[in-house]
Amino acid sequence: MNHIVRFLKISRPQRVWMGAGILLGIVVIAANTMLMAVSGWFIASMAVSGVSGVPFNYFFPSASIRFLAIARTVGRYAERLVTHEATFRVVAELRVWLFSRFEPLAPACLERYAGGDVAGTLRSDVDAMETFYLKVVAPLTVGIVSCAAGLLFLAWFSPPSALVMLFFLVIAGIGLPLLVRRLSVEPGRKSAALAAELRSRVTEGLQGIEELILLGAVDRQADVVDRLSAEVVAEQERLGRVNGLTFGGMALFAGVGVAGVMLAASGQVASHQISPPHLVMLLLFSAAIFEAAGQLPGAFHHLPAAQESARRIFDLADAPGPVPDTPVPCSVPADMTLVFRDVFASYLPGKAILQNVSLKVPSGSSLVVTGSSGIGKSLMIEILLRFRNYQGSITLGGTEISDLSKETLLALISAVPQRPYLFNGTVRDNIMVGNFSASDAELHSALVDSCLDMWVSGLPLGLDTLVGCNGSAVSGGEARRIALARALLKNTPILLLDEPTEGLDAETERTVVTRLSERFRRSGMTLLVVSHRPACLLLGEQIIQLNPAT
Amino acid sequence: MDSTPKNTGAERWLFAEAKKVRGLLFAVVALSAVIGVLVVAQARLLATACQRVVIQGEGVESVTSLALTLVLVAVGRSMFSWILEHRSSAAAARVKQAVRSRLYRKIQALGPAGLGGSDTASLIETVTKGVDELEPYFTRFLPHAVLAALLPLMFLVIIVPSEWRAGLVLLFSAPCIPFFMILIGRGSEKLHRRQWSRLSRMAGHLLDLVQGLPDLIIFGAAKREAAVIARVSEEYRSATMSVLRLAFLSAFALEFFATVGTAVVAVIVGFRLLSGNLSLGEGLFVLLMAPEFYLPLRNLGLSYHARMQGVAAAERIAPLLATPDPEGFSGILLPSPGPPAVRFEGVSFRYGGVRGGVSGADLELPAGSCTALVGESGAGKSTLARLLIGLARPERGRILINGHDLTLLAPDAWRSCLAWVPQAPYFTSGTVRENLLLGRPDASEYEISDALEAAAATQFVSRLPHGLDTILGEQGAGLSGGELRRLALARAYLCKATLVVLDEPTAGLDPENERLVGEALARLSMGRTVLVISHREQTLIHVDRIAEMVDGRIDRVVSPFEFLKPSEAAA
Repeated sequence: MNHIVRFLKISRPQRVWMGAGILLGIVVIAANTMLMAVSGWFIASMAVSGVSGVPFNYFFPSASIRFLAIARTVGRYAERLVTHEATFRVVAELRVWLFSRFEPLAPACLERYAGGDVAGTLRSDVDAMETFYLKVVAPLTVGIVSCAAGLLFLAWFSPPSALVMLFFLVIAGIGLPLLVRRLSVEPGRKSAALAAELRSRVTEGLQGIEELILLGAVDRQADVVDRLSAEVVAEQERLGRVNGLTFGGMALFAGVGVAGVMLAASGQVASHQISPPHLVMLLLFSAAIFEAAGQLPGAFHHLPAAQESARRIFDLADAPGPVPDTPVPCSVPADMTLVFRDVFASYLPGKAILQNVSLKVPSGSSLVVTGSSGIGKSLMIEILLRFRNYQGSITLGGTEISDLSKETLLALISAVPQRPYLFNGTVRDNIMVGNFSASDAELHSALVDSCLDMWVSGLPLGLDTLVGCNGSAVSGGEARRIALARALLKNTPILLLDEPTEGLDAETERTVVTRLSERFRRSGMTLLVVSHRPACLLLGEQIIQLNPAT
Repeated sequence: MDSTPKNTGAERWLFAEAKKVRGLLFAVVALSAVIGVLVVAQARLLATACQRVVIQGEGVESVTSLALTLVLVAVGRSMFSWILEHRSSAAAARVKQAVRSRLYRKIQALGPAGLGGSDTASLIETVTKGVDELEPYFTRFLPHAVLAALLPLMFLVIIVPSEWRAGLVLLFSAPCIPFFMILIGRGSEKLHRRQWSRLSRMAGHLLDLVQGLPDLIIFGAAKREAAVIARVSEEYRSATMSVLRLAFLSAFALEFFATVGTAVVAVIVGFRLLSGNLSLGEGLFVLLMAPEFYLPLRNLGLSYHARMQGVAAAERIAPLLATPDPEGFSGILLPSPGPPAVRFEGVSFRYGGVRGGVSGADLELPAGSCTALVGESGAGKSTLARLLIGLARPERGRILINGHDLTLLAPDAWRSCLAWVPQAPYFTSGTVRENLLLGRPDASEYEISDALEAAAATQFVSRLPHGLDTILGEQGAGLSGGELRRLALARAYLCKATLVVLDEPTAGLDPENERLVGEALARLSMGRTVLVISHREQTLIHVDRIAEMVDGRIDRVVSPFEFLKPSEAAA
């Protein structure tokens, strides 16, 4: 519940839009139920008048019917627009808030989130948060308020009818959704688990298809997929059956509720507590008010998942930053000499990857660190970027790097990380991330040194080519070189490179290494490269091999 | 309802699939007719009760039996609609199961040769989520389409005898609903399509930035991007709202005609009652039926999205299922035992692309020889290897195995003679043993340990927590790249293959692993014909001959000594 409150607090600046959407929702339901009620009363009165000959002023009710019909239709359109407007305004509030909270957490906290599937889970969690108002808050409020108002209206004319409807509305609007939710927990969980397994089997089978064919194992794999698929489909069918209870249940309770009102109100007509036309009005009104209750199952259906998403996101947003920033920064270091003294570091607490590492990169020199994969080469880069904590001492120009503010430190360092990320934009956007105010000449030089110039000039759109979501439209080698160009563009005294030539063919690799060496000699920067590729060894004036800790 | 021309193929396929479950779908139609009858009964009962109480002034006792019947009808209606739901989801389940099985086997049968450019990720998506997305078409759109055709007509036939004027209003207002919905739906669809890529980029903007946060931090761009988020979200809102304003008009049209139609019916009925020409029972019945008349049309309108989803899925599935099986895989000859002699004669293959193809390659692999294939990336090495193992057939030229054209050999028999170790070997999420036995389920314990020994894998396998019975996990996680490579070599060794083809067996390995794999390779090549794609010196010193490829052709075939000498001089 407190997640919902917190969500509402964040979206508070948009409360006018949110409130207006809910108000319009209530107006629409009111117009519809009143339309049915007035129609019922109108034709019953007309019939009574036709039989008895007593005149009936039909002008007002027939005008109301026309007005209510228009109000309902236009109101529905306005409601849809306003609730969506509110949703997108809340989305903007949420996104700014989330980003400001996530920023200090990257990357160490983010990668632990949701068991590693950061992109997938974050996508669905943010999505659930973004539609929280539209799918949960608005229909829940509209449904409950409209039902309550409808019951008051009924009670004004016929308290017994209101009691009958209260009973059935609560069952249909609250009891039924809760029952359906309870029944769907198990098949829902099972079908999600089976679907995940099916996916991994299909992935295995299609990624390994060449070898499976050559090993003569395709039929066995197809049988496994068939069996899993049958299980998934059976669970989904069960889930569908459970959800079908909602429709069936609504029809049942609406029918029985109206029958109950019929009995209750007929009694009142017989005892002259209400006029006969009011019976028809109450009956039609009761049938229509179930439309309001009909909003509730959907909202209740989304509620638990939305709460779970909100919990995950708030938990993440509240996590303390893994590497605290230094509030009072020391002075800027005198030179760019990097010294590691007895450094220990790890990805997860407990299991130290780097143990007792000591090395020195004199200002203006270059060092290549090699060693087999998993030895902690990338970790060295990450602790220098202050993405992770370390024990021991790392000094830059004699100042301990944890005594520098991150801003001061990162103004001196540029890097190609282990897995550079390409943003969904153009090649130019992605390179300019390194330095937004870079001149064309600087950009050109970065392109040449990362061996991208020929590639870019061969593209029909050149630098304005889109790289796709997470660089999906460019090859791994191209992505790596774009990241390299980005790092070069920042033009800092220290450059850290993690496998800068991964995914490049031998010739391009040689060219990149040559141009990087030239740039290094030209600029007098301090260069630290970690790589297991022999070609990269040429980048180092010194070479150090990391060996497994014993 | 609306079928844009390009959807018709997919829609036709969906109908064909629906025909296969027509038994269930007929049940759905029959049930909906029953539900329609119950809806009419419900309205009749209510109207009769009102007639009795309001006009004839009867008491509660005269409507008690009507109320009880009403309850029974409600029970029946809810039960039948539940069963209907049930039947339609059973139909969907059957379709999904059958389509997925066919689709998966089809993709396997097409193999890499038949699939050309389709990328694996989108195939996986189609087999898993794509097939699931067919469901709403069968559970929602099809039943709603049948109901929309059936129920309004049925209701109209019942309403007209009671009050034909109201019937006329319904009859003429009904077609306006689909007409305007299609008109508006097309317009908003077009607008949405035009903006789609921009909208989806803006929708994913936050995630894109969060995933790239480390990079933003390195370049001090995080603060700047935070400001961009507000701006992009704002643009996203206004762009989406401009689409929605139009899209919601179609729902507006639907509501408009249904509501106004009902209101007009109410007014007509009212004046007929006032003139005394109609009884309240009949009049109220007509009024109650008016919304029910429009309901199936409204439901059909709302299931438009379900249809679009199903058609979109079918558009991806149907063409795959209709792809013809690749040619050249129906030979019957059995390869002769012993290591084969291979000859490529003017072999060409360039699957549409410009890079990586083979054109007019001639190469001889004598029986029992070990040949390395070297060349720049994109020179066609992998393509040549894939042609040899029969994953694709040459477009021109031929490959002779002991003098017989490869296409004349029985594919299964040929595959059982060869072992293939690609750059990233495939492992199931089963145990190490299961993975080793994939190609030869009947290998003995002795043969397994022999294979592990040959591949220098004995040591690390015995260090695993459960030895051979350790679960490898997804994609062989838990072992290093070099160890997995050696495991794949052991598997190839175990296969009793007489022809072994390896693609860069040592790429990306550290020197120690590279040496071990190189030695394992030397053991593996004893008594087999071996073709290995490699650049690595550690590998090249173990082979008999080196064939160099340039631009899809074999440039020269030399001894390792000759090949390595000049490059050493250059270094």
